[in-house]
Amino acid sequence: MRVLMPVTVADARMATPRVRVLTLRHARRDRLPPFQGGAHTLLTLPDGTKRAYSIASDPAREEAWDIAVLREGHGSSILHELPVGSRLYATHPQAGFGAAAGAARHVMVAGGIGLTPFLSMLPPLIRAGADATLHLCAREEGSAPLVAETRVLLGERLVTWFGDARRRLDLAALLAGHEPGTHAYCCGPQRMLEAFRAATAHWPDEAIHTETFLGLAPERATSGEAFSVRLARSGVTLDVPANRSLLDVLREAGVAPEASCEGGACGTCTVPVLAGRVVHRDLCLSGPKRARMMTTCVSRGEGELILDL
Amino acid sequence: MPLIFDGELLSIHIAEAASVEMETLAEANLIAGVGIEGDRYATAKGTYSNKPHADRQVTLIDEETLTALKRDHGIDLSPEETRRNLVVRDVPLNNLVGREFRVGSVRLYGGRLNVPCKYLDDLLGKPLFGPLTNRSGLNCRIIEGGTIRPGDRIVPA
Repeated sequence: MRVLMPVTVADARMATPRVRVLTLRHARRDRLPPFQGGAHTLLTLPDGTKRAYSIASDPAREEAWDIAVLREGHGSSILHELPVGSRLYATHPQAGFGAAAGAARHVMVAGGIGLTPFLSMLPPLIRAGADATLHLCAREEGSAPLVAETRVLLGERLVTWFGDARRRLDLAALLAGHEPGTHAYCCGPQRMLEAFRAATAHWPDEAIHTETFLGLAPERATSGEAFSVRLARSGVTLDVPANRSLLDVLREAGVAPEASCEGGACGTCTVPVLAGRVVHRDLCLSGPKRARMMTTCVSRGEGELILDL
Repeated sequence: MPLIFDGELLSIHIAEAASVEMETLAEANLIAGVGIEGDRYATAKGTYSNKPHADRQVTLIDEETLTALKRDHGIDLSPEETRRNLVVRDVPLNNLVGREFRVGSVRLYGGRLNVPCKYLDDLLGKPLFGPLTNRSGLNCRIIEGGTIRPGDRIVPA
């Protein structure tokens, strides 16, 4: 469901010097749609930029959602400067990341702003008496947002790993053994996700859950080796030079898919691939999907690709 | 042979921009040659506004289709989700292509049958394309404008 809701920035506060928490309400109704903890929404900003944000508040609070925005680039700067009262568009909640139903135990690992999806996943789990522990990593205590709130929620089940306290989480040790019924979750920067995947390589696939909105940096996302694409429906061939993304070239040709994060993280701009060798650089497509699709904002080709466009 | 019918306007819906959920109105102002005040096709903010066409000024769909979607396909489609502007009852929409008719004080011209779009499937996450084929509603021009309200009669002009 990608219908857009008009929402109003009802409140805003700085949670850390670089993280602004925005409270969003529906512009016309007194309730937002229900969602499962861990869901995200795609926001359309006043200039048309689209960005995905985890809903970082208790799903039981129906009248408003919180999102926490780390200032790191174009979209987040707009959200940092937006006055209270501004209008945005938000999609209905998009599922993807969330607590596994029926799990006996939840081990959660968050890096910095990666805490946000857990803030909507945890309240229902806590109310249900679930066994959930959250490991929160950050460079320093002051750079991690919403730590106090999370501590209120979790008490001793929040374990902090702050670099300035010389504490470093050993993921391999934490996740060394897998017991049936235990599920592990990670949301954080790419390096942490890679370490998490390596540490859970021996776990069953269905017991590991990852989320990221932090894709490739813009300059890396839009460059690489030159290649070309043939559009099967029109027969047109387009060249993608080394300094441009496929998405950019498709936009110029007027055949671009919708796009959001433009860093290979959200999966909005995927297109079907009929033939050719794709260089996948996204963080969102699973193995089976990679056999037939590609993410146009970051992924490239070797030689010529044939797209079902 | 003249077409005889006596239908009813059930609800009025507009969207402020492409993909934005529709808002239900207690009354609406229809502007001849333009569209419904506040709707995305009156302000060139619609999905198809880059391909302007007079027949997109106002769109209609009948309640019978929504009932049939539920009965035949088990699909719940609310009036707001259709993304059509007017939901009507007892109006032979498919027979109104090339004809003028009245909705309350307003006069419309049936331009062409609405064709379902995959875009709606993606937007709502419901498989509507096939089930809506041949009963997707009517796209109309506004010949005489005015204010309409649910409950208005719909009759031949």
